[in-house]
Amino acid sequence: MDVSDPEDLWGPADFEARLRRVGTERYHDKHPFNLRMHAGLLSRDELQTWVRNRYYYQTRIPLKDSAILGKSADSAFRREWVQRLHDHDGRAPGEGGLELWLRLAEASGLARDEVASLHFVLPGVRRACDAYVDLVERADLLVAVAASLTELFAGDIMVQRIAAFERHYPWVDAEGLAYFRSRTTAAPRDAAYGLAFVTEHARTRADQQRCIDAVERKCEILWGLLDAVEAAHRPPRLAASAMLREDYERPGSLLAVLPERGVRINESGREILDLCDGVRSSDAIATVLRERHPDVAHLSSDVHEFLDQMETLGVIDRDA
Amino acid sequence: MTPDPGATATQPRVWNLIAELTYRCPLRCPYCSNPEAFASIRDALDADAWGRVFREAAALGAVHVGLTGGEPSTRRDLAAIVRHAVAADLYPHLVTAGIPLGEDGLAALRDAGLRSVQLSIQDASAAASDAIAGTTCFERKLEVARAARALGLALTLNVVLHRHNLANLGALIALARTLDADRLELANAQYDGFALRNRDALLPSREQLEAASQVVATERQRAKRPELQWVLPDYFSGRPKPCMGGWGRSLVVVAPDGLVLPCHAARDLPGLAFWNVREHSLRECWEDAPGINAFRGEAWMREPCRSCPEHTRDFGGCRCQAYRLTGDAANTDPACALAPQRDAIAAAHERAGDAAAWGYRGS
Repeated sequence: MDVSDPEDLWGPADFEARLRRVGTERYHDKHPFNLRMHAGLLSRDELQTWVRNRYYYQTRIPLKDSAILGKSADSAFRREWVQRLHDHDGRAPGEGGLELWLRLAEASGLARDEVASLHFVLPGVRRACDAYVDLVERADLLVAVAASLTELFAGDIMVQRIAAFERHYPWVDAEGLAYFRSRTTAAPRDAAYGLAFVTEHARTRADQQRCIDAVERKCEILWGLLDAVEAAHRPPRLAASAMLREDYERPGSLLAVLPERGVRINESGREILDLCDGVRSSDAIATVLRERHPDVAHLSSDVHEFLDQMETLGVIDRDA
Repeated sequence: MTPDPGATATQPRVWNLIAELTYRCPLRCPYCSNPEAFASIRDALDADAWGRVFREAAALGAVHVGLTGGEPSTRRDLAAIVRHAVAADLYPHLVTAGIPLGEDGLAALRDAGLRSVQLSIQDASAAASDAIAGTTCFERKLEVARAARALGLALTLNVVLHRHNLANLGALIALARTLDADRLELANAQYDGFALRNRDALLPSREQLEAASQVVATERQRAKRPELQWVLPDYFSGRPKPCMGGWGRSLVVVAPDGLVLPCHAARDLPGLAFWNVREHSLRECWEDAPGINAFRGEAWMREPCRSCPEHTRDFGGCRCQAYRLTGDAANTDPACALAPQRDAIAAAHERAGDAAAWGYRGS
């Protein structure tokens, strides 16, 4: 039981322990998708989907760090923090973390340009990553830095990941793992600075609590990213409780009737639902439709968005 | 490629048929929404007659039929009625207390084409639930809930909330999770008919409602399932409920005697002539009966509704409540904070309390 005065600051060790507990409970190393990745259970398609989508997260990191730089009036802080931009962007073309991730993509059998184009990023991944940038942009400096503290847990996950890739996914060229290697040292260094910063600048218990909340929110965002990646490989099918019928007011359209609601589905939606056979994954459905309609822009993203909405409304189920 | 959820057409169109198959019920809940004179209203439509109503409803645009009552499973021809609904291309949804239905009865209905079940419980424990139902039935309800899941039917649990069970909200949600319900409808009692008679005993305190809102918010965060349906009730929100999605707009009720109504309770409003499917087609009853046209649209509205921008969303609230609490169904629903007669709600809050006695339906 916590009997301390809620006005009292937690001591540095106590505060750090509370921050770390968030990771113990919620960091995405415990997400089922990550567990399967590290256990060698992902298919080639699944691993590629992760690499392709996680790149979007990588591209948001420099935006987030630029926003943080803009919040500080302290030269010493900026000198330290700007290192993160150099880490991701490099000091010259062909260097830095983003470049290393694109090499991982190539090593995983993906086309570099396709990944870099961000055309095939899942809407759920986009939402999660954009939510992170948004969180940092709205926050004050303390909370923005605190949200980065998931780096406290990142060093370990990188070590495990390198081992898992070498052991289970030998078809990924070992050169491609350079990003993970770079993070095994950079993440703990960055985390140590961030931790020292929030320890010094959280001057009230309420500030400390805001830091903990920020780490929790960040963990949710990372978790949501993996949820979206995982969902792309679970085959959707019409929910047992859903009934499809023609919508006589709108020829060509469908009504999905559910226990407590009806959902209008236009002709494009109908074409997607027709492909939900419980065997094809949403990625596979998007591929079929891209081949069928090569001229339609953003088609993949629309397909995933539509299927996510249908799942939320209960029109489709996705098997685990 | 965005879906267009919901039935929000501006023109009246029947989307949903409420088929009140009978007012017979083995339960005696003190907030029953059936007419107070339920015992004098006979079941006048056989399964084939319901089949005709279903086909006519589908022709009007209906896609969904709620098979309700009373307790629909007191009818021996319920499976035949479900088959008629399926044949008419309606989505059949059973609203039941679970008795005398039982597991075998439910299996027969599933085989007839039933898709989903809404099962009522009255509280989270057998003693408390049976005390409100006025009969021993809680354990049998749980069996029906388990059977529904085993049969692959969508399951909604419904519990009417009031002063004597709001504190058990957490336990109710836990029970719904245990039973793997898809939805839990947390239906705050609506004070018409029997519930109005028992209002002093049933109406909760504001503190109870606020605590319950917190529980719902916390539990929604904790898990996606079951979906929790919870709306702050009109007695507490200062906003009238958009009753039935608007009078005669998207939902039609056919009562056991064949009377066609815009809501469960409209039969008791004075001076309104509703028509009966035994004498007219459903279309005539829906489009032409003077009673159903009385409060359609906006022409009937008085101030403050008439000039209020909210009236396109709340439709002026509930006509039955306006009648019961002000004596005139055309008045603004007194649940609205802008209603001239809003004191009726304040007075109800003052009278409510733990000491008030209540009586069962039919007693």
